[in-house]
Amino acid sequence: MNKRYVMVHDENKCIGCQACNIACRSENNVPEGVTRLQVRVEGPFGEAPHLHYKYNRVSCQQCENAPCVEVCPTGAAYIGDDGLVTIDDDKCIGCMYCIAACPYKVRFINPVTKAADKCNFCKDTRLARGEQPACVTACPTDALYFGDANDSESEVTNLINTKVTYQEKTHLGTKPRIYRIPTKRGGIES
Amino acid sequence: MIELNRRHFLKGAAASGATCALASVIPGSIAAFEREPLQGVSSEVASICEMCSTRCPIKARIVDGKNVFITGNKEAKSFGGKVCARGGAGHSLLYDPQRIVNPLKRVGERGDGKWEEISWDDAYKEIATKMNQIKQQFGAETIAFSSKSGSLSGHIFHLAEAFGSPNTFTHASTCPGSYVVAAKAIFGTKMKRDLSNSKYIINFGHNLYEGINMSETRGMMQAQMDKGAKLVVFEPRFSIVADKADEWHAIRPGTDVSVALALCHVLIYDNLYDKAFIEKFVVGFDEFAAEVKQYTPEWAETISDVSASAIRRIAHEYASHAPHAVVDFGHRATFTPEEFDMRRALYAANILIGNIERKGGLYMGKKAPGYNKFAGENIAPVLAKPGVKGMPKPSAIRIDQVEKQYAMMWSSGGIYQTILDATLEAKPYQLKAWVMSRTNPMQTLTDRAKVEQAIKALDLVVSCDLYISETAAYADYILPESTYLERDEEIQDKSGKNPAYYVRQRVVETIGNTRPSWQIFKELGQELGLEKFYPWENMQTLQLMQVNRDHSLLENIKKVGYVSYGKPLMLREPEMVSEFAQAYSNARALDDDGTYATAMHFKTPSGKIELTSQKIEDMAPGRGVIKHRNVQLKQADELYFIQGKVAVHTNGATHNVPMLANLMSDNPIWIHPLTAGRLDIHSGDAIQLISSVGREEGTALVTPGIRQDTVFAYMGFGSKNKEMVRATGKGIHCGNLLPNVIAPICGMNLHTTGVKLVKI
Repeated sequence: MNKRYVMVHDENKCIGCQACNIACRSENNVPEGVTRLQVRVEGPFGEAPHLHYKYNRVSCQQCENAPCVEVCPTGAAYIGDDGLVTIDDDKCIGCMYCIAACPYKVRFINPVTKAADKCNFCKDTRLARGEQPACVTACPTDALYFGDANDSESEVTNLINTKVTYQEKTHLGTKPRIYRIPTKRGGIES
Repeated sequence: MIELNRRHFLKGAAASGATCALASVIPGSIAAFEREPLQGVSSEVASICEMCSTRCPIKARIVDGKNVFITGNKEAKSFGGKVCARGGAGHSLLYDPQRIVNPLKRVGERGDGKWEEISWDDAYKEIATKMNQIKQQFGAETIAFSSKSGSLSGHIFHLAEAFGSPNTFTHASTCPGSYVVAAKAIFGTKMKRDLSNSKYIINFGHNLYEGINMSETRGMMQAQMDKGAKLVVFEPRFSIVADKADEWHAIRPGTDVSVALALCHVLIYDNLYDKAFIEKFVVGFDEFAAEVKQYTPEWAETISDVSASAIRRIAHEYASHAPHAVVDFGHRATFTPEEFDMRRALYAANILIGNIERKGGLYMGKKAPGYNKFAGENIAPVLAKPGVKGMPKPSAIRIDQVEKQYAMMWSSGGIYQTILDATLEAKPYQLKAWVMSRTNPMQTLTDRAKVEQAIKALDLVVSCDLYISETAAYADYILPESTYLERDEEIQDKSGKNPAYYVRQRVVETIGNTRPSWQIFKELGQELGLEKFYPWENMQTLQLMQVNRDHSLLENIKKVGYVSYGKPLMLREPEMVSEFAQAYSNARALDDDGTYATAMHFKTPSGKIELTSQKIEDMAPGRGVIKHRNVQLKQADELYFIQGKVAVHTNGATHNVPMLANLMSDNPIWIHPLTAGRLDIHSGDAIQLISSVGREEGTALVTPGIRQDTVFAYMGFGSKNKEMVRATGKGIHCGNLLPNVIAPICGMNLHTTGVKLVKI
């Protein structure tokens, strides 16, 4: 059976510390001024003292129906055998259609390679060595989980089956593979 | 693959040896050198981080000769093999064009930013000549030595001792000092928190989710998420830890002590405390109980804005989880001039439920000698402490040694701020020079204008640093230290519930003409004619002395990076004690209750936990008993100004580190919507804060996550020297708004003050 790599982001555990962001830059040599991954601490929402923040992971959602792949005129953006949305730098002409098409606004032109770029779950680096993506490895509070959702024994499958999760902008039919566990707590006096 | 080659930029910028005012390239900086690929010493090295003071165990691997992927060392279980953003970004120091990699000498006025390169030999010669002149003319004590406490601070302080100056200072009185001194007064030693096993955690603004201490941050998250612990946070702003809490109470700044004492009141007068524990292990309970009788929750509500019913309920909930519950004693301990009794009150709330040496409570570090004694055999090797015999005894008193009330600080880092009065007002005598390492008092000492005035008044200022920090900018000589990724150091003790050691090791070959500070201060000592106090050759000799020449032990510690020994032990936790006794056949016999409780010894005058202290009463009459005192932190027409930590920066240190500066280079001021509304201030507006000592311009961030009477800024921004190119002029400089204060007993400075907020 094919692999279906997914990531689960537990927003209860996430503290917005950017360790993932820095680990990603270090492992993947991401140039200054662009980013594959960040966690935006948004809010606070609600009325004091019942406030809460949202910890929003902003990175490629590894859509199963990826608009960026649909619009790419040269086939530079494609879905590989591993199911990951991938970019062939040599085929990319820098037309930026993919950047316009991405509903999650996570693609950019890499200022060094001049090709479109984004998170690829460390496919070329850590995954290739059989390791977890850099962000998962670094996360201080274990808020990130990565694995094969087609493997019924995997931790991510267990999480998706047992926890309340949501995905961003599912109404667009993109079938994103970043699952989020929403915040239960939020500074609420019981 | 992306190529990070700055070569064409560097080519046009080679200015080595030139004297120039600040242009685009600082003399002696990496920008003036050619960049070569990083040379790793091996494929992966275990070491210790230095991006903050937690000093997490790390593993570092060179990526394509271009940067270093740093992750945690999994051998250290409680650290989970993790690093924070600062730890992960440490490698961006290495080839930062603004990093100083050649010694510099000032050629303009102090702070003018005019530098020329100087050789190490000439720098040592010129500095040593001046130091010896000052010693001859005014005495060795007129030179102060200061360093961020840490692995290498021992070397600059060894130089001070050899030179004959008693005036050594760490950053203690600007950050952790009061919780350390309060613990020493009560327990005779520092205490540790067992957050991961706690079922109920009360937190007074100890923001472990932004001020990350990896093992404690992880421990608290595990307690919350995996074990269902309840977290109660008292903090004036809605921080990340407040967000993750079950309850957030927006306490009035600086009034934590009233809530802590009211919690103690409820524990005692609602009969919730552990009488057997108090009877056996505590002195001074009756005096304390009599004092807190007046500190009712209703009284605390009028001071703190925390409702009496909440305080009462929280005290009951807390006691119901005893002894596996904890009141966190905090970290940055500069909330109020009554810090000493605030921290003592927090410890008191722990003592009352008898959580000492219990899971989820407070405990003492178990270092090898004591641990081996319990086991009845040598489970962990005991490291030798290389010392030098015949060190001179200074003839002068320390500059902070005037009032007896501060006696506990003299051996706990000193009162850093006293450098200012000693320099500017000759109190108690005139300082003439300041030698510093890895410290940035312009940011951390409060009253920046006074710090600048003091530095300008001295005859000699020497700074050892990675960058031309805001303080180094005023030095006469800058001695560039190698980064922690280029240094070997002594083995460090990292014992927790069982003994552990770890070691910092070189990850990459040294870049440029930098040296580790142990070498810098040794070579300066030799130039000063103090060779006889340096009977060791290099770091390898020191390490071998530590392990008593046991090469295989040293090799193992270096290879694994973090080595721990034996089973975790908490002396009053029956299950742990029983497992310990079963594991070691010669182990100490159990007490009748199946614990080692009777083995608890506290290094206090009574040998017990001193809830009330005669020693403190003798040092400062009226202060033996923990009590509440009214303090005025602001004027009626002012707002409270408070600060805190953000996860991507370390106080006075990291704001110019490239990857971290890119993440955050400004600190907009948190303002409540109603406070902002009255002044017609909107997010993004330019504002000014005016305090009794300074004024600062910044931008507004209007948010409901702050009290109406309070404004907040993340600390460490707004550097004012020209050399910190990424940080200079960005955001509010907190130290410029805070008045210089010396708190009773603990000598702490103060990070809460009053400000006027103005739209500009």
